Formats: sequence, C-alpha cells, structure tokens
Amino acid sequence: MPLMGFVQQIGTGALVTIQVAVLAYLLALLIGTLFALATLKRRLVVNIAWQTYASIFTGVPSLLVAFLFYYAGSGIISSVLSLAGLNVTIDISPFMAAVAALGMVYGAYLADLIRSAIQNVPPGQFEATKVLLIPRPAAWVLVILPQVLRLALPGMTNMWIVVLKDTALISLIGLKEIMAYAKLASGVTKEPFIYYLLASAFFLGMTALTYFVSQRIEQWTRRGYRPVAVKGPAHAL
Amino acid sequence: MNAIAHVSPVVATSADPALPPAISLRKLNKYYGAFHALRDVDFEVANSEIVVLCGPSGSGKSSLIRCINHLEQHDSGTVHVNGMELTRKAADVARVRRQLGMVFQGFNLFPHMTVLANCTFALRLALHMTTPQAEGVAREYLAKVNVLDQAEKFPAELSGGQQQRVAIARALCLQPSVMLFDEPTSALDPESVGSVLRIMEDLAATGITMVCVTHEMGFARRVAHRCVFMEKGEIVEQAPTDQFFRKPTSSRLQRFLKQVL
Ligand SMILES: Nc1ncnc2c1ncn2[C@@H]1O[C@H](COP(=O)(O)OP(=O)(O)OP(=O)(O)O)[C@@H](O)[C@H]1O
Ligand SMILES: [Mg+2]
Repeated sequence: MPLMGFVQQIGTGALVTIQVAVLAYLLALLIGTLFALATLKRRLVVNIAWQTYASIFTGVPSLLVAFLFYYAGSGIISSVLSLAGLNVTIDISPFMAAVAALGMVYGAYLADLIRSAIQNVPPGQFEATKVLLIPRPAAWVLVILPQVLRLALPGMTNMWIVVLKDTALISLIGLKEIMAYAKLASGVTKEPFIYYLLASAFFLGMTALTYFVSQRIEQWTRRGYRPVAVKGPAHAL
Repeated sequence: MNAIAHVSPVVATSADPALPPAISLRKLNKYYGAFHALRDVDFEVANSEIVVLCGPSGSGKSSLIRCINHLEQHDSGTVHVNGMELTRKAADVARVRRQLGMVFQGFNLFPHMTVLANCTFALRLALHMTTPQAEGVAREYLAKVNVLDQAEKFPAELSGGQQQRVAIARALCLQPSVMLFDEPTSALDPESVGSVLRIMEDLAATGITMVCVTHEMGFARRVAHRCVFMEKGEIVEQAPTDQFFRKPTSSRLQRFLKQVL
C-alpha cells in the first residue's frame, strides 16, 4: 500500500506540474502568436531574428535550455539590467527556469503551427472583411481567429500534451514537481513501482482530460462546417 | 414592381452633369512584379449605369475591379469613386470602400457565422448599429434575395446559389451606391446560376450602379447598358450593349464573341 504522506506529496507535485505546464504553454502561445504574425510577411530583419530563435530553441533539448536558464539566467538578466543602469540581482527559481525554458522552446514550435494555420485561412476571408469595412482588430479576433483555431487545434492539443510531459524532465533542475516526489517516495519506501504508477496515472488522466476538453473546443470551432466527406461548393477551402 | 427596392441615396441619372461619375479610372497601371496586368486603362461608369466587363482569362478583369476597391493597389494613374480619389491613405480607402459593395466568385461568406450573422456583422462593427437594428436591416435584404428562410443556417448548409445570394444581401446591407461583381456565377452549378442572375437583374432595375465581370452573355444583353471587352490588360473595345453584340469593330472582339456565343 502506498503511504498517505507520500501520496499527498505526489498530489502537491502534481499541482506544481500543472502550474508549470499551464504557464509554460501560455507563454509558448504568446511567443508563438507574436512570431507567427511577425513572420507572415517576408521582412528580412524579422526573419533573421526568427530563424535564429527557432534554430536555437528547436535545436537545443529543452532540458538543456532549462539548465542554462537556471544556472546562467540570473547572471544574464542582471548584466542586461546593468546595461540599463539598474543594479539588481534576480534569483531564478527552478520554477521560473522551467516555465521560461518550456515556454520558449514550444513557442518556437507553435509559431510554425499558427503561421501555417493563418496562411491556410482562404484569402477571400481577409478580403471580405476589408470590403465590409470591418475594423482590423475585430476582423482578426472574430473572423480569422476562429478559423485559425479550427485549423490549428489538433496540433495545439498535441503540443500541450508534449509540454505537460516535458515537465517530468525538468525535475532534474530541482523543481519539486510530481516526478521529484515520486522518486523521493520510491527511494524511501523501496517500492518504486507503486509511486511511479501513481505518477503515470496522473499523466494519463491529464491526457484523457485534454482530449475531452479539446473535443469540446473542436466541436465549437467546427460549427457551420460540413463533414469533409460531403461534397458541395462550400466556402472556398 | 422590382423585388429589390434599393434605398441608396437619391438615385442620380447618368444625364445629371452636376454629379461626378460613379467610377472614373485614368491611365491606370497595375503590375504584379514585372508582369504588366493593366496598361493605361481609362474607364468611366456613370451613375446608375450597368456595365459588363468581359474578356479572355488573364485579361485583367479582376485586377481592374479590385483596383477600384483597393483590394489591389494601382501603381500609377488615378481612381475616383463618386468624385473621391482613392489614395493610399487609410481614411480615403475607407471612404471609397463605403461607396462600394463587392460580390466575389467564391462568395467569401464567413463559414463560422450563420447567414443572419454574416449580414449583421458589418452593420454592427462598421456602422455601429445595435443587434436588433442590424437584424432588421439584414432580414429585409435577405428577404429581397429570397433566402430569409435560411437565416439561421450556416453557409455550408446552403446551395451555391443561395450562398451567393446571401453574399449579395450582405453587401447590400451597407447600402453601397456601386456594386462590383467578379464572376458571381462562375462557381455555381447551372441550376443556381439563374437564381443569382435574376437577383442581379432586379437589382439593376433599382437604379444602383453596377460593374459586372461575367461570361453570361445572355445577362449582358438583357441587362447591361454598355459592354467592355478587355484583352492583355487593355480595354480593346467598348460600346452600348446592342452595338457591342451586333457590330463589334475589332477582330479580337469578333473572335471572342464567336467563341462565347
Ligand atoms: N496576385 C497576383 N500575382 C501575380 N500575378 C497575378 C496576380 N493576380 C493576377 N495576376 C496575373 O495578372 C493577369 C490578370 O489577372 P486577372 O485576375 O485580373 O485576370 P482576369 O481577367 O480576371 O482572368 P479570369 O477570367 O481568369 O478571372 C493574369 O495573367 C494573372 O496571372
Ligand atoms: Mg478574374
């Protein structure tokens, strides 16, 4: 039988895992959206910045990025701030390093996903909003975004699951998340199977929940679309 | 009586000298990269005039129409709509677009919105009407194009002809003084073509100004006041409809008419 104390710790760890994953994913969405919008048109400077960013953060394993942020982040930030004449030191906690690392790595992947979704919205949709004099922000939020969501949702769901599972690696920088506690409990009780099983059950549960929620969202984004199999001169796709 | 009573501002006749032409293009040039798509085009449309634009594929018909509402930017020359010059300034673009309605070959309805929401969208967001006001206007125009019974459906649940009629209603809701049509029936199955052409014919009778790119020569003969033939980015020939079909002068138009008639 698992000991209640350890189970409780694993529960606490699970909460930390969820916090890291959610914050990292939100950061990734923000970075991904900004890069996607910035790289829609060919602009040399922006594209060089994007290429550099993408090759670093998709080339270096996320765990390594987290290590770099954890051990060097504090130094980097204070030297940047000292350039601005500020003399402060900011301590980087494992939590912050984990969120920043996962957010920036998966932001690079999401940028590609979101850009191609935007590019797959038929150009006629943009043109219709123009001739109808819809203000640009409203056109993006109310016309383009729902269609981008519909196209990008499957990829975004997968990416969320990958981010969630990648948090398990980040225990190596000392973050007290679910893996760290499972490992601790296994070591103390010499019953690794049961605690690792519990941790696995958590990830499985989260994945199941993810698919449930994403299906709901997908139904919402697909309203108005016929099944692909049905033929007909629907809106230009 | 016409099915569509258009409520655009006082309908002017082409004879009224006090009013500027609805559309006036002068020495218009348009390039796509190195490709010269419109070559020194001069083109004028009077108020309440119905003009049909035709010509072979790639002759620049869409480019011409899209330069009028700034979906494409012209490289030189001038575009005036109801006397207002179309410059690159956002305010000018908006002012000119406010005069124009556009119907696309591919409908371009918003697929995630119902038919009614498609029509009320611009009324609410561009004209700042309340939802009940906007729905009132939208229903009125949906009724005029005979799709009011489909108001709560999504575009994909409608036939092509119904979708195109919704697109026409959506454009009319903003009460433009000029309607631009770019091959409105080319994406439709043969049965649907008639329903859309009938609506356009009703619309033409209301005194609104219309520029239609179309291959429907029967429609052109019945409805157009003037027909314009384009080829390779130039207007090759234009004439009152009757003369256009009966006595084409250029050999290129004669050949074209032989092919399409
Ligand atoms: N965005 C673009 N980029 C490059 N070339 C273009 C673009 N749009 C049009 N063209 C070219 O400009 C020429 C005129 O195009 P346009 O669409 O105006 O012709 P059209 O008369 O409307 O033809 P169609 O009957 O096929 O619709 C064509 O040769 C086309 O290949
Ligand atoms: Mg065309």
